[in-house]
Amino acid sequence: MSGGRPQPGEVLLDVTDLSVEVDTVRGPLRLVDGVSWQVRAGQTLAILGESGSGKTVSVQALTGILDMPPCRITGGTARFRGQDLIAMQPRERRRIVGDRITMVFQDALSALNPVQSVGRQIAECYEVHRGMSRRDGMRRAVEMLDRVRIPAAASRVSDYPHQFSGGMRQRVMMAMALALDPDVVIADEPTTALDVTVQAQILELIAELQAETHMAVVLITHDLGVVADVAHDVVVMYAGRVVERAATLQALDSPVHPYTEGLLRSMPSADLKGLELPAIPGTPPSLYALPSGCAFRPRCPLAVGACADVVPPLLHVGPGREAACIERTALPGVIA
Amino acid sequence: MIRFVVRRILAAVPIGLVVTLGVFALVFAMPGDPLRELAGDKPIPASVLAAKRAQFHLDRPFLVQYGLYMKDMAAGQFGSTFDGQDIGEQLKLRVPVTLRLALLANAFQWIIALLFGTYAGFKRNGAADRLLMASTLFVLAVPLLVLAFTAQYVLGVQLKVLPVSGAGAGFPQSYLLPAMALAVVGFAGIARVLRTSIVESVNSDFVKTARAKGLGEQRVLWRHIVPNAILPVVTIAGYDFAGIFAGAVLTESIFNLPGLGQFLFQAIRLKEGGVVVLLSMLAFVTFVLINLAVDVLYGVLDPRVRHG
Ligand SMILES: Nc1ncnc2c1ncn2[C@@H]1O[C@H](COP(=O)(O)OP(=O)(O)O)[C@@H](O)[C@H]1O
Ligand SMILES: [Mg+2]
Repeated sequence: MSGGRPQPGEVLLDVTDLSVEVDTVRGPLRLVDGVSWQVRAGQTLAILGESGSGKTVSVQALTGILDMPPCRITGGTARFRGQDLIAMQPRERRRIVGDRITMVFQDALSALNPVQSVGRQIAECYEVHRGMSRRDGMRRAVEMLDRVRIPAAASRVSDYPHQFSGGMRQRVMMAMALALDPDVVIADEPTTALDVTVQAQILELIAELQAETHMAVVLITHDLGVVADVAHDVVVMYAGRVVERAATLQALDSPVHPYTEGLLRSMPSADLKGLELPAIPGTPPSLYALPSGCAFRPRCPLAVGACADVVPPLLHVGPGREAACIERTALPGVIA
Repeated sequence: MIRFVVRRILAAVPIGLVVTLGVFALVFAMPGDPLRELAGDKPIPASVLAAKRAQFHLDRPFLVQYGLYMKDMAAGQFGSTFDGQDIGEQLKLRVPVTLRLALLANAFQWIIALLFGTYAGFKRNGAADRLLMASTLFVLAVPLLVLAFTAQYVLGVQLKVLPVSGAGAGFPQSYLLPAMALAVVGFAGIARVLRTSIVESVNSDFVKTARAKGLGEQRVLWRHIVPNAILPVVTIAGYDFAGIFAGAVLTESIFNLPGLGQFLFQAIRLKEGGVVVLLSMLAFVTFVLINLAVDVLYGVLDPRVRHG
C-alpha cells in the first residue's frame, strides 16, 4: 500500500468515469453513467440524489460488493491512494475494502448477521485483517463499542443485533466499520432508517470520530439537510449521472443545476422542519425509458427544445464547480 | 431451559392421551369381533372365548378398556398378542429393525437433500436447479406406494441387485430398497426449503456487509450464509421425522420387514386395541422427544428465539 498514514487533504479515493450496466431480459440497462468524484483525508463528500439515482450501485461497484452478474462495470477507475480498485484481483481488493475502506449501511438490522453476537462480528475484522485471536478481537470489540458510546459496552458485546435499539444498532455498525481505523468510510444513508433526534446523534458521532482520525467520509443521502450539516463537498446525482458538483456552501448558496435548485427549494426551512414540502413536481424517470437528451428535462422549468438533443456534459461553471445543464453554463450572477 | 423442557413435556401429556384415545376409538369402531376372526372357521368353546375376552379386557366398556391398556403399559406389563406372542419380546426384536430403517432413510434423505438443495440454491436457475425443481415436483406427486413397488420390481425382481423383501439378507442389504424409497419421497420437501432459504440468505444485506468487511468467499459462506440458511431446515426436521415413521408403517409392510410399522399394521388389521394403543403411544413419545430436541437445537442456533 502507498504506505503510512494519509496526509490531511490527500486525495484518498478518486473515482473517474465510473459506468455500471445491468443485464435484464430487455437488454443491458445503464445504472451509473460516467460518474466521477474524489474525497480527501479529513473531509466529507456527500452524494445526494433521489432514491433510484444510482448512489448505492456506484459505491458498491467500486468496492466490488455489487452483484456481478447481473451487474457489470463497463468503464472507469476508482483509485485508492493511486491503486485502481476496479482493475484489482478480488483477493487483492479484499485487503483494502474491509480494512482501509469500510462501509456503513442504511438498515443495521438487516445488515448485521442476526445469529452472531455483535462482538463476534466486530472481532471478525481483527481476526481476518490483523490475525488476532478471537479473545483479543473480542477485547478490541468492547473498546470499539465504548468508543461509539454504547453504554455498558463490556456486557453488551455478547448481545445480538435484535437486542439493540435502532440507534444503538447503527452505532454497532459504525463500531464495526471503524474497528480497523480505516482511511475512508462509505456510509450509505446511515441515518435514513432512524428518527430525527437519533439521526442527529449519529451524524454528530461521525463528525467527532472523523475529527479524531482524519478519515475521509463518503456520505450518501437523499436529505439535503444532512448535506448542509456535515459535508465539505457535494455531488448531485440524477438518473445515474452526476449533474452538479460543488463545495457544499456554494451549492447551497447558489445552485447551478435546476435539479439542485429544486431540491434546495423543497428543503424544509428550520422552522418548518418535519413538514413534507412539495418536492420537485413529477417523478424520476424509469431507467428503462430515459428521455432523450437531458434526463431531467420533463421535470425542468428551464427546459428548451435543445435539451432533447444531447445528454448535457458536465461543464466547468466556476472555480471548483461543475454542472450539466445547457441553460446554465456559468454561475448565477456572472452572466445575467 | 430446563423449565422450557419440563413445560413442553407436561403440555404433551394431554395431547398424547387424546391422540392414543382417538387411535383406539378408530380401532374399536371397526366392524367385527377380533377374537372370532382370529379363529377363522374353527369353532371355539364359549368358555375359552370368555377367558380370552377377559384376558384382553374385551368384555369391558370402551373407556375402561382404554384405561386398562394404559395402566398395563404404565406398569410395564405389555402382555401378549391375541396369538400368544410376548409383546415385550416383540418390541425387543422389532425396535431395532424400525430404528435401522428410519436412520438409514434419514441419512439418505438428508444427504440427497443437502447436496441437491445447496447446489440448486447457489446455482439458481442453472441446469441442476431446474432438474431439482422438476424432480421434486415429480416426487411430491408420486405416492410412496407406487414408488416402492416400482423400486421393488425394477431393482429387486428385474435387475436382482437388491433383495426384493424380507430381512433375511441382514443390514444393510435388506434395508437399502425401503430406505431409498422413503428417502426419495422425503428429500424433495427438505431440498426445496433449503434451496429457497439459501437463495434468500445469499441475497441478504448481511452478506453484503460480510463482503464489505473483506472476508473471503469461504468465510462468507460458512460463517454467515450457512448458519442462517439452515434455520428453516432445522424447523422442519422434527415434523419430517413423523413422515418417516408414517412411511415406515407402509414400507415395512411392502418390503416385509419385521419392524414396528409392520407390527402396527397387523395389529390394526386384527383389531388388537392394546397393541395399537401401545405402538401409537410409543410413536407419539418419540415424536415429542425428537421435536423437543429440535426446538432446543433451534434455540441454540437462533438467538432471536432464545430471547423471544
Ligand atoms: N441488481 C439490479 N438489477 C436491476 N436493477 C438494479 C439492480 N440494482 C439496482 N438496480 C437499479 O439501479 C437503479 C439505482 O439504484 P440505487 O443505486 O440503489 O439507487 P439509490 O441508492 O440512489 O437509491 C435503480 O433504478 C435500481 O432499480
Ligand atoms: Mg441506495
